[in-house]
Amino acid sequence: MRITFSTFPNALVPQLGTLASRQAKLQTEAATGQRVQNASDDPVAMRRVLDLQAEAQSMGQYRKNVTRLQEVAGASFTAMRSLQKVSDRASEIATLADGLKSPEEMKIYAAEVNQLIQQAVQTANAKNRGDYIFAGTKNDLPPFTMALDANGQVTGVTYQGNDSVAESEIVPGQTIAVQPPGVNTSGSGPQGLLGDSRNGSDLFGHLISLRDNLLAGNAAGIVADHTNLAKDEDNLMQQYGLNGSIQSRLEVTAARIGDQLLSVESVVSQEVDADLAETLVKLNETQMAYQAALQSGASIMKMSLMDYLR
Amino acid sequence: MLGLFGSLNLGARSLQTQQQGVEVSGHNLANVNTPGYARQRLQISTGMALPTAVGWQGTGALGTAVTQARDAILDRQALREGAIQGSLDSQMKALQFAETYLGEKLDRQASGADGTSSTTSVGAQHGLSEGINSLFAAFQSLSTQPSSLTERQVLLMKATDLTTRFNTTSTRLGELDASLNESLTTEVGSANGLLRDLAALNDRINRAEMSDGTPANDLRDLRQQKLEALAKYVPMDVVETTGGLEISVDGQTLVSGVNQLDSLETYDAGGGRLQVRTVTGATALNLTSGSLAGTIEVRDGAIAQLRNSLNVAAGELISMVNTAHRNGFSLNDTTGADFFTGTNAGNIAVNAALTADPVLLQASGALGNKGDNQTILAMAQLNTSARAALGQQTVFQYFSKTIAAAGQALSSVTAQQSDQKVVVDMLNRQRDSVSGVSLDEEMTDMMKYQKAYTASAKLITTIDEMLDTIIGMKR
Repeated sequence: MRITFSTFPNALVPQLGTLASRQAKLQTEAATGQRVQNASDDPVAMRRVLDLQAEAQSMGQYRKNVTRLQEVAGASFTAMRSLQKVSDRASEIATLADGLKSPEEMKIYAAEVNQLIQQAVQTANAKNRGDYIFAGTKNDLPPFTMALDANGQVTGVTYQGNDSVAESEIVPGQTIAVQPPGVNTSGSGPQGLLGDSRNGSDLFGHLISLRDNLLAGNAAGIVADHTNLAKDEDNLMQQYGLNGSIQSRLEVTAARIGDQLLSVESVVSQEVDADLAETLVKLNETQMAYQAALQSGASIMKMSLMDYLR
Repeated sequence: MLGLFGSLNLGARSLQTQQQGVEVSGHNLANVNTPGYARQRLQISTGMALPTAVGWQGTGALGTAVTQARDAILDRQALREGAIQGSLDSQMKALQFAETYLGEKLDRQASGADGTSSTTSVGAQHGLSEGINSLFAAFQSLSTQPSSLTERQVLLMKATDLTTRFNTTSTRLGELDASLNESLTTEVGSANGLLRDLAALNDRINRAEMSDGTPANDLRDLRQQKLEALAKYVPMDVVETTGGLEISVDGQTLVSGVNQLDSLETYDAGGGRLQVRTVTGATALNLTSGSLAGTIEVRDGAIAQLRNSLNVAAGELISMVNTAHRNGFSLNDTTGADFFTGTNAGNIAVNAALTADPVLLQASGALGNKGDNQTILAMAQLNTSARAALGQQTVFQYFSKTIAAAGQALSSVTAQQSDQKVVVDMLNRQRDSVSGVSLDEEMTDMMKYQKAYTASAKLITTIDEMLDTIIGMKR
């Protein structure tokens, strides 16, 4: 092949261009630590990473959901514990108030039960971030309202919530409700916290009945109330257990999401991250080649026959 | 015998010839860096021989023609490969814009708008994909607290952010489309200018060559350059006839010798998509390469597909979210409102009534139950629902496929373009080896002519001395 004056510069310019653009790419890789930035760098990897990141993002959201549900479950647990205390004390009073007690003593017990009812209503109307926990999905209004007579005696407690509860997703396709409705008399759906027609529990009804029987000194009635209060206690114990299992399920889910995120991160890293050692070695090689091209090009181009003519 | 005066003439002619040789070398040296220049050579032949008593006697040498070193096959190839390169260049440029406008970039270091990477440590995405993910995450978030006004506001902000991104991307791609149309018109204008120049050059070359019958080298160089410039725009057939070059595109003759018979024009073939035809022709030219073909191909191919996919994704998002939302109930117990308005990526927007009053967002699935989350949960679960309209993919899968397809288009055009560059570079080197000027050769030639010049001058001095001798015989 005949080599002419422009052969060298014409060849050198694209060679330098190729080397320079390779250097720029490697430098970007080294600086960002990423092999892929734009879709065109590696369309297949980009697609996989976009899907993985979407998965990670939705898992991140599930983790937030779990945190939020843990908060509600915690709040509902606290309320259950104080309701449990009310129920325990009421049973205790029903046991203590046998026929041997004087009517005065009975009245004192009755007054205490009346207080217990009010305390229970207050606790059952617990709120979390502005929503009533035990109102089912009608959680903008306090679930339990008391009717008082002129003497400050609670004559009735009405439930104005409903028996359905909102379920939230914690893993794709799986939903969970962390708090029970206050009362469920429909015979189906989630068990009511303080009253459920299926197991005969009705804490407020039984407390009011106990107080009335104490006031009236009706020993037989008190024995019946004792039996009924045992149903309420059982019901509360069940809710307690349910809450515990829900909390542990949430905890396990959160841990699993954490593990999954870690594995997604390692897959993303394999797809996208640059091997820094390899990148730097390649960058070094390219720089050497660039220097060699410059030096050889310059030394060839400055040489010509003219140096030897005079 | 030539006689002394005849020999003196021979010497003078020889001087002239060698001087011409130096001049041609000088011309070559002067044009060593001129693009499109082909080196020239002086053709020297022996002068007319005279019959003498001892046989035919030569009368020296004379320059007969200045020819140029050109390879017609390589020149033709340059036209063809130039057209292919033109096509790939224009496609690559347009797709680079499209990728930038799409704004999808992986960034493992940065945290996303909501600190995505700090919670998930996989890095953030920029652009629409992140917006889509954030929207569904916000649906989820609201489903855990359906009556919370804060969550509602956050959700509406995320949704507005997504619709804005859709609108911006759609607008930018629309502008890209318009600018491609504009560049078609501009390039057709330049091509027409070149066609005019070529017809004029045919004329000038005809006149120049008719006067003395030798090739008009420099004008031919210029014509080849113009042809190569034209080939970047359109692929063409070139035939050399006695009247000059005949240039035709897709079988339609545009230039025949000195006459420009036709020129190119753009016209709207429907839907604002400009096509190229000849002024006298009614239908679009079938262009297989060249930047005009590349621009049309990328506009109606990858970019049209990208725009369409965006519209399909936005349309499906609008319809599925609205269908779910309409059945829900707001905190005021209103129902039946849409979540999104609009029909495609260009006009998608969040229902203004909702942004004005987040209470109206219909998250509840049961009338009067503000703590119910069935509707908003159904909206959140749309994230994983495969849609028939999207080829049984979820909105996000469809979208990430679209991004990958755009990336694939650019990546494959870039690879083709760099392959083509290698071909063109090789072709240029080959042409250079035939037509390029070598300084060493020219210097050698110059020395050669210089020595011959000196020798011819010596001849003249010798004849001069001989004449002196003759004249000195008589005193």
